[in-house]
Amino acid sequence: MATQIVMDQNGDTRHTFDASDTKALLRAEERFKELTGLGFTAAIRTTSGEPAVTHRFDPAAEETLFFPRLVGG
Amino acid sequence: MTFENLLRFFHDRLRPLLANGLRRAQVLRDWYREAGCTGTEARAIKLLKEWLSAKQLAQFNAHRYFDVIGCHTGKNYRICYGTATNIYELDYAGRPRSVLCFVPNRPLAAGDVMLAQKIALETDEWSAVAVANRFAPSWH
Repeated sequence: MATQIVMDQNGDTRHTFDASDTKALLRAEERFKELTGLGFTAAIRTTSGEPAVTHRFDPAAEETLFFPRLVGG
Repeated sequence: MTFENLLRFFHDRLRPLLANGLRRAQVLRDWYREAGCTGTEARAIKLLKEWLSAKQLAQFNAHRYFDVIGCHTGKNYRICYGTATNIYELDYAGRPRSVLCFVPNRPLAAGDVMLAQKIALETDEWSAVAVANRFAPSWH
């Protein structure tokens, strides 16, 4: 099972989906596009565990983390 | 009991006991800290810990901060527990040179803010620093 983790006021919201299910995969891709369109950054972890930003939906990613746009504080 | 025997006794028996006691104290301290957090904060800290490197995790568990290396300049940054003005750019001696402030544009728990800051500095340092406000460090 793959997971999309979206940071929010409650900590995070997790969307788990079966990457072998075409419909679920399509919904996950739509969610990816919607969130990145809203300014969220999508990050995955490489095999060595380091974070990497991704601009395209990766159907093979086990975990994708979304965090809101960063601004000066 | 000779001094040598005493040393051997300490090495063989007391040292493992002390080490075990210290480990338990560390676990209790972490539990106590996180028990005081809200559910949101605890979840954010759990997520942060999952994404930290082994070195960063050890640092965070011990000090409530961790160091990251900027992907473009190789500069060292220290991300401290908090939601604003919590990043120190360090000099080569590990002293704070300036304070940076950049945060997600939505209210998030400290653990989430720190994770977003870590990923930004490790993957797109220049963009993160470009939006950041910079202050002189008020301590050291």
